[in-house]
Amino acid sequence: MATTGVRGTVRKIDSIVQKSTTTRINSVSPSRMFLEYHRRLIYVCLALHSSNNFAMGPYTITYFGVRGRCGAMRIMMADQGQEWKEIVVDFADWMKGDLKATCVFGQLPKLEDGGFALYQSNAILRHLGRNHDAYGKDGKEAALIDMMCDGVEDLRLKYVKMIYQEYDTGKDVYIKDLPNHLDKFEAVMAKNKTGFLVGDKPSFADYSLFEVLLNHLVLCSSCLDTFPSLKSFVEKMSARPKIKTFLDSEAYKKLPINGNGKQ
Amino acid sequence: VSLTLTYFPVRGRAEVIRVMLKDQGAEFDEKVITMEMWKESTLKASCVSNPLFGQLPIFEDGDLTLYQTNAIRRHLARKLGLYGKDQREAALIDMMDEAIQDLLNKYIKLMFEKDDSGKEGYLKALPTDLKPFEKTLSGDKGSFLVGDKISLADYALVILLIHHQVLSPPCLHAFPSLQSYLKRLCARPNLHAYFHSDDFKNRPIIPGKRT
Repeated sequence: MATTGVRGTVRKIDSIVQKSTTTRINSVSPSRMFLEYHRRLIYVCLALHSSNNFAMGPYTITYFGVRGRCGAMRIMMADQGQEWKEIVVDFADWMKGDLKATCVFGQLPKLEDGGFALYQSNAILRHLGRNHDAYGKDGKEAALIDMMCDGVEDLRLKYVKMIYQEYDTGKDVYIKDLPNHLDKFEAVMAKNKTGFLVGDKPSFADYSLFEVLLNHLVLCSSCLDTFPSLKSFVEKMSARPKIKTFLDSEAYKKLPINGNGKQ
Repeated sequence: VSLTLTYFPVRGRAEVIRVMLKDQGAEFDEKVITMEMWKESTLKASCVSNPLFGQLPIFEDGDLTLYQTNAIRRHLARKLGLYGKDQREAALIDMMDEAIQDLLNKYIKLMFEKDDSGKEGYLKALPTDLKPFEKTLSGDKGSFLVGDKISLADYALVILLIHHQVLSPPCLHAFPSLQSYLKRLCARPNLHAYFHSDDFKNRPIIPGKRT
């Protein structure tokens, strides 16, 4: 006999409805109470069924003590008004291998959404996109958002390679080449005119781009000077109240961007 | 509605799109761009300015033009019902696919190296990359990576395994579940026909090089 989930809830409400039809309470007629409980029953069932969102919290992130590949998802959750728990993994402990062995691909980050565990940062971003209606309004927007996010990922991979493998020798060349990668995003942002990459509200691609641009501004504070739409995008996203609160927080500021201290 | 794939005359990054469409019996046109045509800058420039990334493949679905292989694959997966039965399966498919992409990127890097010096190290590391997929497929359901229907991620893994067997025929010897998975998927009628076709066999994995 189900006591949880939709069936459980229906049973509990059913039992309340049954009680109410047999008892006169506070001089409200039983039939009136019967109708009232049924009305609420219908609303509860509709709410549960119409929510297409699986799990939806509580959220826990397990990761190292850096922004790294969790930067974008944290900003997204903050902007979406979500609270989350952080489990910070010490790198020396990680190298012992016990936690690593439990991770499907031997990697972090890990997101737990209720009892559901998910790995791979872009899979996590997409999952959050589905949970919080940040994956476009239709199939066409979803495809364009995917395209943008993949473009951001390409840039992120180049950035990470430079940071971890070629910082001293390759930083200047990287910065010089950067406009050739940013111009595409500038063009899309300028064309869309809404202040977001696709559609008229933030998608997971926007959070990912925003985060990667913040990191690039630390690398080179003038890198957006020739890209007015991207500059305005960063300013507007930074000014969104929940993002502003998060970026001003100790939790955000205390974490280095990257694991090797370079930025 | 017409589907058109524009790419070089190689398997490369687009092959997984072809495999998915062939298996699903979805008709599509192909526009072939040779390296000469690509270097002659007009098409490349138009990719850059319109809107995007100066790269191939390009995919057209009616009036929707898409770049980025994985965005194209996801779009087709949504369209053809290859993205799991619910949100949980979709998230797991994404997770599997991201890991497959990680291995694919390593493979592509190896393929484009100027000599064979990286091959030994690559093959030594390969079992570590394959183990999670072996583990996933050796569960009691095990027929596909996620759920009980073929998905976006399965097509990526199948072609990656086929290409790894070309690179090193014994690479799956220690992975019985991957072997049986590969056998099972390649026995799907449309895939069997496609993998035995001249169309597939004559298309090099990457331009020019050894496979």
